[in-house]
Amino acid sequence: MTLATESRVESLPDLPRQPPPSPQAVGAAVILLGLLAAAIWSTIELRINIASLADSVANAQAFAQRVFPLDFPPLGELVSLTAQTLAIVTLATLLSVILSLPVAVFAAWNTTTGAVARGSARTLIVVCRAVPDLILAIVFFRIFGLGALPGVLALGLHSVGMVGKLYADAIESLDNGPQEAIRAAGGGRTQQIVSGIIPPLMPQLIATALHRFDINLRTSVVLGYVGVGGLGLAISDAMRTLDYPRGMALAVAVLILCVVVELVSGSIRTALMTGGRPTRDRGIAGLADRVSAGWVTGGPGASRAGAPGRERLVPPWDSARIARFAAVAGLVAIVVLSFVGAGFSWEAVGYGIATMPSTLSQFVPPGGLDILPMLLRELLVTIQIGLAATLIGAILAIPIGILAARNVVANRAVQTSFRVLIVVVRGIPELILAIIFVVVTGLGGVAGTLALAVGAIGLLSKLVADSLEETDVRVQEALRASGASGVQVFFAATLRQAAPAFVAHLMYLLDVNIRSATLLGIVGAGGIGFYLLNASRVMHFDVVTTIVQLILAVVLVVEGLAVFVRRAVS
Amino acid sequence: MTPKIEPTRPTATRPTATQPGTAQTLAAGETQYADIRLEHVTKDFGGTLGLDDVSVAFEAQRVTALLGLSGSGKSTLLRHINGLQKPTRGSIIVRGEPIEHASGRQLHKLRREIGFIFQHFHLVGSMSVLENVCTGTLGSLKGPRLSLMTYPKAIRREALAQLERVGLADRAFQRADTLSGGQQQRVAIARALVQRPKILLADEPVASLDPVSAQQVMELITRISREEELTVVCTLHQVQTALEFSDRIVGLQAGQIVLDRPTGSISTDEALQIYSRVAPVDARELTAPL
Repeated sequence: MTLATESRVESLPDLPRQPPPSPQAVGAAVILLGLLAAAIWSTIELRINIASLADSVANAQAFAQRVFPLDFPPLGELVSLTAQTLAIVTLATLLSVILSLPVAVFAAWNTTTGAVARGSARTLIVVCRAVPDLILAIVFFRIFGLGALPGVLALGLHSVGMVGKLYADAIESLDNGPQEAIRAAGGGRTQQIVSGIIPPLMPQLIATALHRFDINLRTSVVLGYVGVGGLGLAISDAMRTLDYPRGMALAVAVLILCVVVELVSGSIRTALMTGGRPTRDRGIAGLADRVSAGWVTGGPGASRAGAPGRERLVPPWDSARIARFAAVAGLVAIVVLSFVGAGFSWEAVGYGIATMPSTLSQFVPPGGLDILPMLLRELLVTIQIGLAATLIGAILAIPIGILAARNVVANRAVQTSFRVLIVVVRGIPELILAIIFVVVTGLGGVAGTLALAVGAIGLLSKLVADSLEETDVRVQEALRASGASGVQVFFAATLRQAAPAFVAHLMYLLDVNIRSATLLGIVGAGGIGFYLLNASRVMHFDVVTTIVQLILAVVLVVEGLAVFVRRAVS
Repeated sequence: MTPKIEPTRPTATRPTATQPGTAQTLAAGETQYADIRLEHVTKDFGGTLGLDDVSVAFEAQRVTALLGLSGSGKSTLLRHINGLQKPTRGSIIVRGEPIEHASGRQLHKLRREIGFIFQHFHLVGSMSVLENVCTGTLGSLKGPRLSLMTYPKAIRREALAQLERVGLADRAFQRADTLSGGQQQRVAIARALVQRPKILLADEPVASLDPVSAQQVMELITRISREEELTVVCTLHQVQTALEFSDRIVGLQAGQIVLDRPTGSISTDEALQIYSRVAPVDARELTAPL
């Protein structure tokens, strides 16, 4: 068999030379190898190894003793804290959607008015994404004082960076047909967008908003450390007074809340993306459909909406319309409740706007140049945490992601349990992980790295599993048909197809981790975030500006690298 | 069904479109005036010519089929008539108005009078059939419409009447994506009719349909255009369909007109020549008036 193959190869004419790799591919390879080396160096430098982890075991035991029994606040207080958190997150997500829609319309090439509008909208999106919400929160708290507004604004504006981009991408990937049909019939731009673009995208727009709601919920807890109300603020107060039983009890509450919200929004998203067509004829929905069909048809055999004298110009109350109506009514109710619950003080808003110039002038010129070497050292630690967390996270998360992919693991139970694991880990806010690791491993970079690395399971594993499931199964079938084993099929067909997506996901993870590393610094998990928080606490806003500039520079460089590598591999 | 489609609006504007000098593009013996006229229209897509010095007129109340390979310029020609594309050179006169330099506002006004039917229907699948039909009237309404109930009642009634006409009134409140391809195209026809157009442009209206649905849709288009006295320009790529349903066939090859004669005078073989890869030996032979 082998001989035959070899002789056949020998008889072939000279194979054409493989073309040299493109400069982009070489560049991407150099960047990836460089990042890998840097990540390994960071892991060593941060002293993340078995020995230092073993040292922490004693700490963990001491911590456990001090935490238990958990001290939950009274139910009423817990509910009110949760409501406050949910109100802020709801309003922030709503704000981001309201801002993102017009921005996305101008940012998408098929709906924009021109190159200038498109460039400005894209820039706005990048800026919103690049400025960490923590920094926005610090600035807005300075302007508007304590209350719900700064948190809503900070989360809402930062979210535009993601929501606006995803909305613009969705518009660009849309089939332009309906829009063109309205244009051909003389409809104006706004009409084209409202009737031709938004309706087909509605499920995606809602799904994106729900996804962002999940993220904002987690972030709002972190922002509690700079004063955003709700569960996060309560945790921060408890931890500052070393009241671990209370702090960890609240953390458990946050964990449960996050998992519940994740499950609810996940099931709504699944229903939105797959459902919509009325196919059911049983249950309550089926009953509603039959009743409304009776109204419309007026009995079997009668010509329906068109019957003479019985024409119906109003849609019937079928299950789909009832569901739609209920969803809209529910949303309006939630938003109104959030507004009431968040308790905006309009006087504070007015005062904040009036004093904004003088407040903002405290932030310029950038100061703290005398401590610049120290800031740079801490910035390096932040970058190291991001890199090491991505490396360790990838090592943990990729196998889990592979085992959670439906088309890789044949055993349904195994696959499902890994999916559940991912959902549970996704539910744990990184802040909670960071707090635990800070207590266990002590202040510093190890805690931040481990928190982010575990968090990567929630993010990267899901992306890995999803992109494996999206691979073209026909290629796998072709290989299986030619007698390849399961492992061979996985490496030759599945992994090979998903590889570019993996690289893109890794770069995304690095991007996210560097941002989060800044954020987690505020709980003492190492890096520059700690100094950011302190500078704002002692009102050295000029130093805040310097730190912001440093963070922005790093974030933009990482973002640039990520974009370059993603383009090169796709 | 109470509302019936009124006969088309007064014909007073028609004679203005009649111009001397278009006779050579009209088929011999025709007394029709030209509703749509292209004069030396060239469309340059950065090096490739979509249309190459095309002069052609389309008579009012006639069904003209445009035949040609994909890329021959038939869709491009169609999309120049309602200003979805602008010519590089040449002039286009629709219902007496030159449109090649028309402002946005003028184009919106013009497009209201021109119904357009697409190969892929271009309905919003998640919207109800009735709302899809209503979107045809957006050009004459001010401001965006968020849902079916935001359209005036008169328009909803008219839309339902047009749905009745294409035989789909009983599907009015179904999602458009629950319909078959042929039904979706009929909804798209209703959407065009609700505009009360004077001209109907159809870009491969039956190319995505099975033969039975295709036959139904073509019959519907020709029947309604006769009832409404519409000027129809329809791109097709099935020769048989063109021979069966059109009054006149215009063949395009590489952006040039290579055939232009009344349908009755064209044999199947002649029509098929449009699809030959090489241009006919002498294109003039085919375009010469009878």
